[in-house]
Amino acid sequence: MTDYNAMADDDFRKMLCDWLVANYPDELRFPSARMHWDQCGDWYMTLAKKGWLAPGWPAEHGGMGLDANKLLILMEEFEGYGVGRTPDQGMTMIGPLLIQYGSEEQRKHYLPKILNGENIWCQGYSEPGAGSDLASLRTAAVRDGDDYVVNGHKIWTTLAMDANMIFTLVRTNKEGKKQQGITFLLIPLDSPGITVRGIDNLGMHDEFAEVFFDDVRVPVANVVGKENDGWTIAKALLGHERIFIGSPKMASLAMNRLQALAESADMFADPLFVERYIALKLDIEDLAAAYRRFVEVLKRGGKIGAEVSMLKIWNTETQQRITDLMLDVAGENCGVSDAIPAGDTAVSAPGEFIGARPTTIYGGSNEIQRNILAKAVLKLPS
Amino acid sequence: MEDISLQSRIDVLSEEQVMIQDSAVAFIAQDEELKKVRENRFSQPGYDAQTWAEMAEAGWLGFLVPEEYDGIGLTFSDLSLVLIQLGKGLVPAPFSATAVLAARTIVKGDNESFKKARLPALISGEWKPAVAWQEARATLDVNAKNVTCTDGKLNGQKLFVPDAGGADDFIVSAATAEGTALYLVEKDASGLSIEYAQRVDGGFYATLTFNNVAAGEQVASAAVAEQALASALDEARVAASAELLGVMTRALEITVDYLTQRVQFDKPIGSFQSLQHKSVDLFVLSEISRSVLLQTTALFDGDASVEARAIAASQLKARCGDAALQITKDAIQLHGGIGYTDECNIGLYLKKAMYLSSLWGNPSAHRSRYASLVL
Repeated sequence: MTDYNAMADDDFRKMLCDWLVANYPDELRFPSARMHWDQCGDWYMTLAKKGWLAPGWPAEHGGMGLDANKLLILMEEFEGYGVGRTPDQGMTMIGPLLIQYGSEEQRKHYLPKILNGENIWCQGYSEPGAGSDLASLRTAAVRDGDDYVVNGHKIWTTLAMDANMIFTLVRTNKEGKKQQGITFLLIPLDSPGITVRGIDNLGMHDEFAEVFFDDVRVPVANVVGKENDGWTIAKALLGHERIFIGSPKMASLAMNRLQALAESADMFADPLFVERYIALKLDIEDLAAAYRRFVEVLKRGGKIGAEVSMLKIWNTETQQRITDLMLDVAGENCGVSDAIPAGDTAVSAPGEFIGARPTTIYGGSNEIQRNILAKAVLKLPS
Repeated sequence: MEDISLQSRIDVLSEEQVMIQDSAVAFIAQDEELKKVRENRFSQPGYDAQTWAEMAEAGWLGFLVPEEYDGIGLTFSDLSLVLIQLGKGLVPAPFSATAVLAARTIVKGDNESFKKARLPALISGEWKPAVAWQEARATLDVNAKNVTCTDGKLNGQKLFVPDAGGADDFIVSAATAEGTALYLVEKDASGLSIEYAQRVDGGFYATLTFNNVAAGEQVASAAVAEQALASALDEARVAASAELLGVMTRALEITVDYLTQRVQFDKPIGSFQSLQHKSVDLFVLSEISRSVLLQTTALFDGDASVEARAIAASQLKARCGDAALQITKDAIQLHGGIGYTDECNIGLYLKKAMYLSSLWGNPSAHRSRYASLVL
């Protein structure tokens, strides 16, 4: 087993880069939308065979065991090469959660199946009536012998159609404080009574889905932690991953697209455009400075708290302003769905613009992030 | 006033830096209510001699001067800790103009005997030179055109010399046959007329008119003067940005405190979401600014090229200038009617931000230079 953390940073980078060039499919570089399993399943299994599916997991559980610094380098190399996301919620969410809160049996049963591609997970948190106010969720699990009987409706379930397992928050107690009657429950998606329906997003892509539960029987053994203790567990899941949502990579990518579009339209001769372009470029450069400041904390082995929300706000809103300018530069092509040629590449301004819409909504809307900062950092009164 | 910045949560200071910061915090705590700041407003020279003496005593005037000239030779990262506090306290002394711009211009010059004679006096607080380089509004060009030096006589005009009233002498850039050079000019030199303009923050700008003024000692020859001045100015821009960070963070602290105290509709107004979200946006701006400052001071402490420093200084000054204005403007709004009175201290922060954000190039000028350097 290689000790990646002992490698020099540059050697580690080169190893990753060489391997990506040799193994990552060219046609999947910089995908325009989230990939489905029929596109990226082979790549997923290539990663699995290499043992690189779970870079952040401890080596004893089958991960690469990377420290925060090496993990960031890996993210940079993968993003820089244009590696698309796989259905990765097993690695990023439920795996780490089971390592921390699961029973020995659960770890033994589920972790290997994540790593060998047998189980593909999706996340069942949001409901039609429980978005930002997640704790008001109503999907109910009622005890019946050694099973729960689950009834309810989850929504915005990313790539549910490609998954065979779902980790959910369900209500097991309707009394008292709403956060205290929630249980963390693992459910096989092939259980009788489950219906999955894809939802087309504004980009005309069925990236997310809704999942209906109709008298679905789930063994009590599938509870993670204790009954009614699911809220604490779900909240603890926000660990180091939160820094990644603040990475300036997404906004930088949008900026590169804008630059290609603007060069092909000869916009850099227009001082009005240059003024707007430079202001946006500085917004990204300044975000990069803030991002590196937070990354330093992780490199020192420190912890990042609620303040990391500032990166998400700045990052996503900058990305949206960049795509606003892309629409402007596109002119009438703003109304054309297909990508238009721009130098040696092709750019879809409306595609980029529409693709930037959900960034300020997902992962806790930016308004919720502002609520968090107001309370947790500025200590403003309720 | 509670520090709401992320410094204590996520940044690491060395033991020495903690001491530097603590002494600067104690220094501004002497005038927490800004009484001294108000006493010195609109009256020459705009600051009191005792403040300057205390800064010299603390060793701050020598932070960026090498030890061979009696300086301490510390870093920009160290100095920024002092400057942030001076910004928080709205301390009216011309620290960046004298201890950074003037001192560093002299250090980067090529007159060794002048450095040996004058820098120790600057550091001890006995001698305060002011640099007169600017010849037009909103320019970053250090190439002298209007003021000329021919046969040892200076003619022409310099604009926007900050805090000239308290200065003992001027360091003046002038066009010579060989290019721009820097000369010392005594304040009472014959043929020099000084016209003062009151600034919104209570200090003064001066216009210097030279009419056959005898040039004093050469501070930097044409071989190095332009480069010395340009790079000292970029360092001064970093210093002014650190002050701006202090101005904006204290303005935000005062405002958040006010939102917590002020009751309307039977609730502290800080409980209202529209005011919370506005406050958060200001907080994010201030921490983005701090992140850029940390990155820039680290770059200036290293061996980056002249061009990389210019790019970084413009990036920083553009951000801090804009952020300080935005935060202090919104601080007035969040205070409501009382914020529009001279009696309330929050307005002093707005006016300081107006001065510092435009000093040595406003955000537009710096975005422009940034564009010309990176595109």
